[in-house]
Amino acid sequence: MDIDTSSVWIIVPAFNEAQVIGDVIADLRSVFAHVVCVDDGSHDDTADVALRAGAHVVSHPVNLGQGAAIQTGVEYARRQPGAAVFATFDADGQHRLKDVVSMMERLSRGDVDIVIGTRFTGSTISQTPPLKRLILRAAASLTPSSRRLGLTDAHNGLRVFGRPVADQLNLTMSGMSHASEFIALIDENHWRVAEEPVEILYTDYSLSKGQPLLNGVNIVFDGFLRGRMRR
Amino acid sequence: MNWIQVLLITAVVTLLVYLLRSRTNAKAKAWVKLGYVLFVIAAVYAILRPDDTTVVANWLGVDRGTDLLFYALVIAFVFTTLSTYLRFKELELRYARLARAVALDGARTPKD
Repeated sequence: MDIDTSSVWIIVPAFNEAQVIGDVIADLRSVFAHVVCVDDGSHDDTADVALRAGAHVVSHPVNLGQGAAIQTGVEYARRQPGAAVFATFDADGQHRLKDVVSMMERLSRGDVDIVIGTRFTGSTISQTPPLKRLILRAAASLTPSSRRLGLTDAHNGLRVFGRPVADQLNLTMSGMSHASEFIALIDENHWRVAEEPVEILYTDYSLSKGQPLLNGVNIVFDGFLRGRMRR
Repeated sequence: MNWIQVLLITAVVTLLVYLLRSRTNAKAKAWVKLGYVLFVIAAVYAILRPDDTTVVANWLGVDRGTDLLFYALVIAFVFTTLSTYLRFKELELRYARLARAVALDGARTPKD
């Protein structure tokens, strides 16, 4: 791969993931030197496990939500000397390292600012549970910005982006609505975006940690209100 | 005059005094205060002559003054709820930024 891994920062938001965070970070660290784990006010020892596994650790004093954790991680990473490429990676072990690498290769071609993982294109159609699949597809096609950009999977936790996106990123939805906010920001800031097929590993653990589908209602509602808030 | 009228008028006037005495954020509050003075005048009038609200209601195609007031109350309630929700969201964002600043200050780096 023609990417200088020392300029890469992987951002891992984590909330009560002490069981798996160690392995996830050790796995990431086998390729990337710089991993920052944002401990979102966990009640277990997520932060200590992540630190021992070799990650930089930033701990929210209180639980704020995944969107806020991603924003914190990006703000931490973008002030590190030499940081040029950033990736968000869920802490529950549902992403594959090789997908991040191929997304970085895609970014390094230089014609896009951000690469987003998608479960729904490419040869490897992942084993997304049917109902979840239906709802995620509906969400992607119902979100105006997502449709305009031709994205098929707005709620994928895997994103790889360069300096311009990291510098401008300003997520204001603290909870799970940040994924659609991310897409809206891509649209508003005219970042060039591409999708890359990725596989999601639905383990019992990641399914148990995943957000309930009913949360989609909150996400849609937050989307409507977003435009009405001062930032 | 009924006792209920005395009670209601005392209540709105007390609220008016209370509101006029608070002087945070002068300019934005000034309009609120003016609006509230108008509200108090209308309220006292409606309390003293409740039947007149029915006249206004009839102009608008509503049968009873009580119904008209009820509709107005529902609208006001929804408006208040939404503005409170938005204010909470805004506060949440500030709170997130504060917590983020604290978190970034206390960042720990691994010893490689």
